[in-house]
Order: sequence, then C-alpha cells, then structure tokens
Amino acid sequence: MSSRWGVPLLGAALLGAVPWIGDETMMQFGIYLLLVAALAQAWNILGGFTGYASFGNSTFYGLGVYGTAIAMAQFDLPFWVGLVLGAILAMLCALLIGLPILRLRGPYFAIATLGLNAALSALVANLDIAGRNIGLILPLTRHDVLFYEGLLALLLAATLAVAWISSSRFGMGLIAIREDEDAAAVMGVDTTLYKIAALVLSSLFSALAGGIYAYYVTFIDPASAFDPKLNVQMVIMAVFGGPGTVLGPVVGAFILYSIYQALASSISTAAALFYGVVIILAVIFMPKGLVDLGWGLRRMGPRYLLETVRQYRL
Amino acid sequence: MLFAQILVNGVLLGGLYGLMALGMALVWGVLNIVNLAHGALIMLGGYAVYFLFTGAGIDPFAALPMAMTGMFCFGYLLQRLLLNLIVRSALLNTLLISFGLDVVLTYVAQWAFTADFRAINPSYAGANITLAGITVPLARLAAFAVALLLAGLLWLLLNRTRLGRAIRATAQNLVAARLYGVEPRQLYAVTFGIGAALAGAAGGLYGVVAQITPYVGTSLTAKSFVIAIIGGLDNPLSVVLGGLVIGIAESAASLYLGPTYADVISFGLLVLILVARPARSLRMA
Repeated sequence: MSSRWGVPLLGAALLGAVPWIGDETMMQFGIYLLLVAALAQAWNILGGFTGYASFGNSTFYGLGVYGTAIAMAQFDLPFWVGLVLGAILAMLCALLIGLPILRLRGPYFAIATLGLNAALSALVANLDIAGRNIGLILPLTRHDVLFYEGLLALLLAATLAVAWISSSRFGMGLIAIREDEDAAAVMGVDTTLYKIAALVLSSLFSALAGGIYAYYVTFIDPASAFDPKLNVQMVIMAVFGGPGTVLGPVVGAFILYSIYQALASSISTAAALFYGVVIILAVIFMPKGLVDLGWGLRRMGPRYLLETVRQYRL
Repeated sequence: MLFAQILVNGVLLGGLYGLMALGMALVWGVLNIVNLAHGALIMLGGYAVYFLFTGAGIDPFAALPMAMTGMFCFGYLLQRLLLNLIVRSALLNTLLISFGLDVVLTYVAQWAFTADFRAINPSYAGANITLAGITVPLARLAAFAVALLLAGLLWLLLNRTRLGRAIRATAQNLVAARLYGVEPRQLYAVTFGIGAALAGAAGGLYGVVAQITPYVGTSLTAKSFVIAIIGGLDNPLSVVLGGLVIGIAESAASLYLGPTYADVISFGLLVLILVARPARSLRMA
C-alpha cells in the first residue's frame, strides 16, 4: 500500500467513525453527502471516462428506489432482496437502452437520457404496483448508523471500481473513446461493448445508492425518485472535482455539498446565489476540475490559473 | 371540430415555442454552447415587458423592441466578459457554467421581483375571434404572428446580410472565418446578444399568454432544447417548424392522454427522432 493511498484511507476511516463521534444533525448531513458522493462517482464511470454526459443516471437511481420500495412495501420482502431487485432492474434497463442510445453522441446522448428519465417517471406514476402518483411507504426503521455505513461502503466500492478502471485496459479503452471514438474503434477497441459495460456498471452503483436511500427516507414518489435535478448535481460534483479521476468526484461532492449546506444555514436566502457564483468561478479557473488544479498548483504555482484561462478563452 | 381546435391551439402555442428555441439553436449552432440559462433569459425578458407595461403603461407588443434591445446588451456583455473566457473548453464545462448562470439569474430575479406569479394583461387579453366554430384568442394569435415575424427576420439576417454571412461562416469553421477577417470575440458576443434578444421577445410574449415566475426558466430551457434538436441548428425556419410539431403534439396529448403526459410526449418524440435518424445526429455531434 503506497503513500498515495494513505490520505484517502485515513479519510475513509475518519468518515466511518462519524456515527460514534457526531450527533444527529451530522448523521443526516453525512447520509445525504455520502449518497450524492456515491452517485457522482457512479456517474464518473461513464461520464468522466467516456465523456458521455448521462442525464439518465437518475433513472437508474429511481429504479433502485422503486425496486426496493416495491419489494418491501408490496411484497413484504426483506430489504436485501429489494436492493438486489432494484439493481437487477437498473442493469437490465441500462443493457436494453444502451444499445440504441449509446449510438448518439454529445448533447444528443444527453437529451435522449433526459427523455428516458421523463418517460420512466411517467410510466411509474401510472403503475398500480408502484403506487401510481401517490408513491409508496416503506416500513419505518431507525438504523441511521446502518444506512450511513452502508452508503459509505457503497462509496468505497464505487471508488475502488473507478481506481481499478483507471489503471486497467478497460479504462484505457474508455478514455480512448472519450478522446476520439472513431480512432478508438480503428485501434481495435470494441466501443459498443465498452460503453455498455461502463453504463451497466454505472447503473449498478446508482441503483444500490437509490435502494439504500429509499429505505432511509421511507417515503418515495415518482417526482423525488426520478428527479433530474439530482442528476444535475451528480454532473456538477463530478465535473467540479475532476471527471475521469479516481477521487475527483468524491472530493467535488464533499466540497460542494459542504459549501452549500454551510451557506444555507448561515445566509439562507443568498445560498443559491453563492452556489451559482462558485460554479461559474470554478469553470473559469479550474476547467479540468479540482484534482487537476491541486496538481497544477503544486507543479507551477499560481501561473496554472492564468495558463488554464489562456487555454480556453477565445 | 374538436380536432381542428386542438390543431389551432397547438399551432399558436408552437409558434411561440419555436421563438423560444430560436435563440438557443443560434447560440448552440454558432458558439457550440448549450445554454442552460436560456430559459432564465426568457424569464428576464418577460419581466422586462411586464414592468414596461405595468410601470410605464407601454403596450406589451410595443415594449418588445425595448426589451429586446436591453436583452441584446445584456447578452452581449455576458458573452464578451464572461463566456468568451471558457468558450473553447469541453461541452461539459459550458453546460456547467450556463447552469451556474441559470442559478444566479433565477436567484436575482426572485430577490428583485419576488416569487409572485405575474401575467401581462392588456385590455385585449381575453378577446377572441370565432371562425367556423373555432375559437382563436387574439393575444395568442398576435404572439404567434410576432414569433413568425422574428423568425423570418432572423432568417433574412443570417442569409442576406454581411453579419449573417460572418455568423454562418464562424459556425462552419472558426479558423477559416478568422482568416477572412471575422473578429470572433466581437462576433460571438453579437451572436449571443441576438440569442438573448430573441429569448427576451419570447419571454414578453410568454408573459402575455401565460404567467411568469422566477422559476419558469428551467422548463422553458428543456423545451427549447428539445425543439432546437428536432428543428436542427442551421435554419431558423425549421426551428419554428420543430416548435409547431411540439406544440401540436402537446395539445393533442393533453386532451387525449391527460396533461401529465404532455412533457412525456415531447421527450418521447425526441428520443424516437434521435434514434431513428442516427446518421444526422452523429454528423452533428
């Protein structure tokens, strides 16, 4: 275990200890934080590595939510069965839609996934088994520690998966697709297979996060389960931290969500304004993400800021 | 008869939708920015016309040119001072910065104008004409006419003027356009300004036929996005056509399937079109 992993491991250990040293508020904050961090990391697998900006990850999240909710509320099955059911549902969906939709590129892919999300949301809102528009109520539990540690474990698993991807042949293929898909195909990368594998992996982690969170909030409805705003958050956090890096999406989620919460509690009315300003400044001064910023500052100091601005301005 | 009425409703609505999408398609096609703050610009234009009408008593249709001028200046400065800094980076970054802008504009609007619903209600707001049993609301008809007029003017500007040729050249190849003497910073700012002015006009008309709040932006952005893709990014007239398709599909869907399905129809159509015409989509990306 090299020193490169020292800080992240220490961070993970500290996070794992939060339920024993933090209070109720901190737990609630932590659970949502871990949820969005895990979702941002899941988004990173497809969006960060292949450059396909998915707005359908909230669909997979929603399927995880509904898989768990339907199993528990309608069939009285245990939580774990529902979790697996939701994950299978999401992966099937990713497999089925991956083939037609991953042929689209750039903004066309983005909007097609957004459309898929709207369509599934409407479908669920009309299904009796899913409680139609009213939603479902899950059995109440008070095991916040379990939810917290579960989401932390999921975040770690997703991060380990990304760490493996970034050093594997599979990951190289995904990055090649991002840089130039036609060239990648010519070089012998089976682009369709790679993209679908990334989408399915991404859907697995999103659905598991959704399943755990559904049991935590106990009440779900189509609007909250298939919320495109949640997907926008994943994208922002991953891109803020550094898309296509191992720790970027996690760091991005932690920083952005903390800033937002701190603003919301101190200057509640202007929180949204500052959030927007932070995003604008972040894009201008660190268009390659926070991880690249840290790396660049160490290498060439404040000159890095000027260099990146110079690189992308007209 | 019912069907004819739906058709008329859809067409009148669709013209306005088309105008909403015009600015977005222009900015997207030329600057390669998918402007998520486009709906917020529409919203700002709506407020401009609202305050010109309620504050100064100017008829909303007469206020449109003033609102458009103001929005042009705003858009010009926004591109010149802010967006030009980032315009050459990856699509995700321009998406993100325009999302940040959307958040800021929505907040500022909420702070300055409050979250109240506002409608622009001139004396003729409720007037109708009835033709062969079909009711045509006058305000909507006028809004439709203005939308068509502006789309036609944009087409003339792009295809019959020197500026338009520079804009089209830049959209095709920035480097080549530069070699022929186009100053891209200026041209990008002017193009974004035109996009903002069109958004402003759409906002004013939207305020006449519906209600404005600081939060209408997001759904209008989504709608403009869909229409811009269906219509294509190169021709303003086909964007208006895309607006008509969505307008008709939505009014038919809300009658036959129920209003909750209206959005699903526009997105469903979109996905179908995208998947059925992959060659074009691939080329455009």
